Amino acid sequence: MPDWLNILLRSLGALAYLFILTKIIGKRQIKQLTLIEYIVGITIGSIAAFMATEMDGPIAHSLIAMGVFAIVPVLMEWLTLKSKVLRDFFEGKSTILIKEGKILEDNLKKERLTAEDLLEQLRLKNVFRVADVEFAMMETNGELSVLLKSEKQPVTPQQLELTVSPAEESQVVIMDGVIMDEPLATAGYNRRWVRTQLQKAGVALENVFLGQVDKSGELYLDLYDDKIQVPAPQAMKRTFATLKKCQADLELFALATKSEQAKQTYQRDAEQLQQVIDQVKPFLIR
Amino acid sequence: MMTVGAQVKQALASLKGAQADLESFALSTQNKQAKQMYTEAAQQTQAIVNNLQQRVTELENEEPQYKGF
Repeated sequence: MPDWLNILLRSLGALAYLFILTKIIGKRQIKQLTLIEYIVGITIGSIAAFMATEMDGPIAHSLIAMGVFAIVPVLMEWLTLKSKVLRDFFEGKSTILIKEGKILEDNLKKERLTAEDLLEQLRLKNVFRVADVEFAMMETNGELSVLLKSEKQPVTPQQLELTVSPAEESQVVIMDGVIMDEPLATAGYNRRWVRTQLQKAGVALENVFLGQVDKSGELYLDLYDDKIQVPAPQAMKRTFATLKKCQADLELFALATKSEQAKQTYQRDAEQLQQVIDQVKPFLIR
Repeated sequence: MMTVGAQVKQALASLKGAQADLESFALSTQNKQAKQMYTEAAQQTQAIVNNLQQRVTELENEEPQYKGF
């Protein structure tokens, strides 16, 4: 067998073997590297390279070595699931870097971080003033978690005492001009409904690049032809406007009428309609 | 110039439409909370529609010349 063919086969073999091993180690390998996974990643890579290019040693040796490096972390992970002590030992502990708004210089030194490193990490979290930070922690994977002081945190609807419509996941029901049946069923609609909606918008199915439906039944459409303006779903806004107009009318009638009884009914109805409006507003306007 | 009777009738028509919209939103939404809210709103609006309807009848009796507007 010529050398080049040997190397070709070895390379392909190493690649396939490596792929299988990474499958075993699991997808955690890709994103969150723990200490041991970091070591394993590097080592397996170099053994695979060695296996591919060095034609002296038998392939089995490389395979065994790679196998060990792949299996041991899986075993260790299993062990760390069982024991907190082992977990701390293998995966390391996270380190508090800022506590109660003060930088802990000793811990910074322990992680061998300079002030610049800390500032850089904070900036990556969109924090530009150390004074805004209540608490910051260096996680085991080297990422910094930051808790802002409560007055520096973004406002939530709850703090403003706002009622908001419930968060809704949406389903992609049209992709590349094709109706996706499964997500459509999940959303609780059928093909006929989609066709009706498209007709309403005056758009051909082939022209739709992406169609997304939310739980309130509004269909967002993005077309291939960006020059065509898709009318945004207006039904809810229109209903809201109608309700508001009727409420104003009722108040007007209450003022205009000479009958005392009718005036009272109008006023009561106007108030009740105002309540309805306040109630539906977060759902209709968003 | 619209008479009071015609104005009330128009308001009644709009409100009926909005009430029907609320009912259809209640039917079309998959979210339980939203469904309940729409249903309640539709019921409350229906009560107002009924009052307005009654008022229209009264006005028609008061000003028979506007009947059928």
